[in-house]
Amino acid sequence: MKYDVIVVGGRVSGSVSSLFASKNDVDVLMVEKQQEIGVPVQCAGGVSDSFFKTMDLKPLQEYYSRIEGATLHAPDGGQVSTRNKISHGYILERKLFDKNLAIQSAEAGTDIMLKTPVKDLIMENGQVKGVVVRHQGKLMEISADVVIAADGVESQVAKMAGLNTHFEPYDLCSCAQYEMVGLDIDPAMIEFYFGQKIAPGGYVWVFPKGNTRANVGIGIRNIPNGSNKNNGNTQNTGNNGNNGYDKSKNAHHYLQKFISKLGGTPVEFNVGAVPVSGPVEKTYTDGLLVVGDAAGQVDPLTGGGIHVSASCAKIAGTIAAEAVKKEDSSAKFLKKYEDIWNKKKKIGHNLKRSLKYRRMFDKLDDQEISDLIKVVQGQELESVSKLTLLKMTKEYPQLFKLLRNIL
Amino acid sequence: MKYKSELCGYCGACVSVCPVNILELNDWRLEIQPLCENCGRCIIVCPVGALEEADHEI
Ligand SMILES: Cc1cc2nc3c(=O)[nH]c(=O)nc-3n(C[C@H](O)[C@H](O)[C@H](O)COP(=O)(O)OP(=O)(O)OC[C@H]3O[C@@H](n4cnc5c(N)ncnc54)[C@H](O)[C@@H]3O)c2cc1C
Repeated sequence: MKYDVIVVGGRVSGSVSSLFASKNDVDVLMVEKQQEIGVPVQCAGGVSDSFFKTMDLKPLQEYYSRIEGATLHAPDGGQVSTRNKISHGYILERKLFDKNLAIQSAEAGTDIMLKTPVKDLIMENGQVKGVVVRHQGKLMEISADVVIAADGVESQVAKMAGLNTHFEPYDLCSCAQYEMVGLDIDPAMIEFYFGQKIAPGGYVWVFPKGNTRANVGIGIRNIPNGSNKNNGNTQNTGNNGNNGYDKSKNAHHYLQKFISKLGGTPVEFNVGAVPVSGPVEKTYTDGLLVVGDAAGQVDPLTGGGIHVSASCAKIAGTIAAEAVKKEDSSAKFLKKYEDIWNKKKKIGHNLKRSLKYRRMFDKLDDQEISDLIKVVQGQELESVSKLTLLKMTKEYPQLFKLLRNIL
Repeated sequence: MKYKSELCGYCGACVSVCPVNILELNDWRLEIQPLCENCGRCIIVCPVGALEEADHEI
């Protein structure tokens, strides 16, 4: 069997890559190891309005609920809300959204194989020439000019081609989430809760899905030596990363603690991990591109990856098709993908800036986070001027070092 | 390393951090090849505590 382009993974990165490759009139196969697209869900589904604009997609009524603001809760109980436009967006029903993307891709001509894990790559003289899959109990070789690895955080495919897409524990936010019903919430507001006792190294989110329903989830990051201060991905865990780590205090443990005071009842449980250390060093090689979570294309501050993955996947699919037409799938040609997402579209720049903020945020203790929220409390966030913030640092001098970097 | 399949949520966090690539998620279970170096990375990132250090051999 032979295709022009093979896409490994059938969720947001996979479907968008294959959709744009197919739209450019090449033969595309997408292989997904699960028997159903979008399952198990590993996402809270939050996207901002700009996502649909960038992707030129229409949000379908049955797949989303509308969000018109956000509330941040400080460790000391203080809170601040905003209804600024940048907080406007949707909570997607990811299973349906992902399946719909796959359907759009199929309608554009993509062939899809389900329950088909990629087990290996076909390599010739250091160039990726296709994949080895397990399909209906048998190993099968499928050749391709370009392979796109869209296989998520657990990615092995790019590693098989020699790219370094390995993550260390401190690069990942470990997540657990319940979709719950019967909650006392404002269905138009997303909420975030911060604090070492609530979500060490991360936050709790409440993302409404209509009426009393919401995704209530948590992401935490475990830093060696029992400390939750860290320096991001420059730190080394050493060989024995679990020194002093108490495994009973996992994401699920903190989530149980959080929901115990909420009331409501769960209708779905999800777990997952998000890479929050910024993109991997290199996202192309001879005959292969890597995209999405597998490439660390996630906003390191928020852990949001849908919009970044989709934007990069659109570029990956388009460039893969171009490589096929030009009969050149060398690393030299495929570098164009990285040049575009990293430089031209400034996605790399934005992710780096976010990483810088995340590192600053990592250094804040509960008191400092509470102070920061106190500074803007009672005001609409958009009306807070730089000058007000600077004046406030007189009252909370420890905030100065943080603001100096932001302003 | 010990795997408690009844706790596993199939998220692949462990697969992602394994430095020797011996973990694979397939058909709703985690397959573990031999040669685990007991580095403990997977134990740290598991959101549900499904992985534990193996009992020490006597
Ligand atoms: C709990 C949680 C909440 C999140 N909330 C948000 C949010 O609110 N907003 C947001 O923007 N982002 C969020 N994210 C991040 C977002 O979910 C990801 O960035 C995004 O889903 C990445 O998509 P992807 O297609 O790259 O990878 P994935 O969604 O992981 O898809 C990879 C696919 O590849 C398949 N696969 C893997 N290996 C193979 C193989 N060998 N052969 C065949 N198929 C394979 C998998 O089965 C899977 O279907 C969240 C993440 C988590 C964990």
